[in-house]
Amino acid sequence: MKASGFPYVIPMLLLSVAFFATPLAVLIGFSFIGPEGVGFHNYARFLGDAFNYRVLINTAKLGLQTIVSTTLLGVPIALLYWHSGKTARQVIIFLTLIPMLTSNVVRTFAWIVILGRQGPISETFVALGLAERPFTLMSTELGLVMAMCQIDLPLIILPLIAILSRIPVTYTEAAQVSGAGPWRILVTVLLPMMLPGLLAGWILVFASTSASFVTQAVIGGARNIYVPQLIYREVGTLFDWPMASAIAVVLLLSTGILLVAMTMISRHRRLVGHA
Amino acid sequence: MTSFKMTRRHFGFLAAGAAATAAMPFAARATGGSVIAATFPGNWEDGYRSVLTPLVKEAGYDLTVAPALAQDQLAKVMASPGNPPYDTLLMSPGQMAVAIENDIIQKIDPSKLKNWSMLDPAFQGEYGPTVTVEVNGIAYNPDLVPRPKGYRDLFENPAYKGLVSWTGFASNTGVMAYTEIAKIFGSGPTDMEAVFKLFKDHPEHLKGVVASTNHQMTLFQQGEVAVFMCSTGNVAKLKALGLKAEFVQPETGSPAAPVNIHLTKGSKNVDAAYAYMDAAISKVAQDQLKMPPREMFPTNRQVELTPGIGAYVTRAQLASLVYPDWAALNKNRPEWIRQFDALVAG
Repeated sequence: MKASGFPYVIPMLLLSVAFFATPLAVLIGFSFIGPEGVGFHNYARFLGDAFNYRVLINTAKLGLQTIVSTTLLGVPIALLYWHSGKTARQVIIFLTLIPMLTSNVVRTFAWIVILGRQGPISETFVALGLAERPFTLMSTELGLVMAMCQIDLPLIILPLIAILSRIPVTYTEAAQVSGAGPWRILVTVLLPMMLPGLLAGWILVFASTSASFVTQAVIGGARNIYVPQLIYREVGTLFDWPMASAIAVVLLLSTGILLVAMTMISRHRRLVGHA
Repeated sequence: MTSFKMTRRHFGFLAAGAAATAAMPFAARATGGSVIAATFPGNWEDGYRSVLTPLVKEAGYDLTVAPALAQDQLAKVMASPGNPPYDTLLMSPGQMAVAIENDIIQKIDPSKLKNWSMLDPAFQGEYGPTVTVEVNGIAYNPDLVPRPKGYRDLFENPAYKGLVSWTGFASNTGVMAYTEIAKIFGSGPTDMEAVFKLFKDHPEHLKGVVASTNHQMTLFQQGEVAVFMCSTGNVAKLKALGLKAEFVQPETGSPAAPVNIHLTKGSKNVDAAYAYMDAAISKVAQDQLKMPPREMFPTNRQVELTPGIGAYVTRAQLASLVYPDWAALNKNRPEWIRQFDALVAG
């Protein structure tokens, strides 16, 4: 059976080697070149600077913060979809997909208006007496997480919807009949069933957030520096491509380790067994 | 959930449609060929596309205006040696020095430019003509802050606290402002330790640091900032958008940067590139580009200055502007960029 299917994957395999593996190999090779010759000099320079460490940690932290916020918003939306009728489901799908049809750049610039001093958040807080004067969330980590959460929300909602669509609503009714309350149903019935979808969404959100150069640069400003901005600086401003390659490899490895860990969890027999 | 169905026939139609779209003929092109010209985004891109495209077309060539900041232009050309993505580059002396050092631009043949003699000798560079001189200073919103006298005022007058925006050392406008600040607070234009110390002593200014002047203009429009380092063109654009923006020449002098068009080494459309250069320095083009919202200082002697441009700088004053020593600045720039980024990030 394995042998009979192999020829069909050959074109994809060739494309992957030509357009993914080869450029990646070139990138990795480039990262070892420097004025001092071939070696680990670029890695030593990058990892020897405490500032770069902080940037690396901040990038991972941003990804994890976005995962938490998208989960808190995405799970209720997915559950609402699950309990809705045909028309409401179409509306939820439509509203989920609409932001994805708009350019990331446009969505990011819309957030400048929302997070600004004269934006709805600041004005609402002032009107409710929760803030003395208008304030800005631009160039803050909180503002960036809010923007990233909205931008990446479809990435967690869609896998959840795909999982929930296969599960009959009668499962919750059975739990209710057995005497379980709403929280118990959520924790012991729904969340275990949703876990594979959640993990798939977390992987997508983490990968998207940690590489989202435009939003990080525009909303985060120059105070919140993340790894993609460092790579851009090395390529576009300092023209130090070997260093940029080394940083890219470090980003690839650090996010890769986290993604592999999440993927392994999502394939764990006990977790998959629940779904 | 409604299931999605697609028959083989539907798939066939879809594939055929996609193939037909890909095979559609391109729009009619001029017979002489085309030039891909890099320009700065925003005002420059709009102006050059609308004013120069018809002039280049008259000469028998197509013009594609590709927006990119000067540093990005350099990075892209350096990334594909021998097959440059642009036929011409638009940059100030800061980037020109890097381009010459990396052998990516070539000396031009002035005999191919009909309008060459209309330029002052100072604008007749061996690597290409100067198309305008950007005069830098301070932009402010008169509704939000008082008129600043100069750079010192921005740090010492509490009226500006939290309302001033800066860029990093990757921006030419930023570097020019910092060289002036280094002169005021330090020992000379390259004494950036004095600048870094000034920012450390005034951390509220670090909150206003963003990536580019274009980003600052967006924040200015939104009322997020009230002051930023700018060129006269930036203020002209903001005014054209109906915003309250004024330009101030700092009391210590206005830094200035000539903007030049350069012919890329390896350009495959040299004749079209010359036609574009010639159009950019022609009287007919500069007569349009000097008008709001662009207000580009004309380098063609036959073009009269508008009262608006004359208020910023006259031809006689050009020599008295501050022209930074880019060779000296470029030597230290990478280190300054890294140091400033680390300082801003805290």
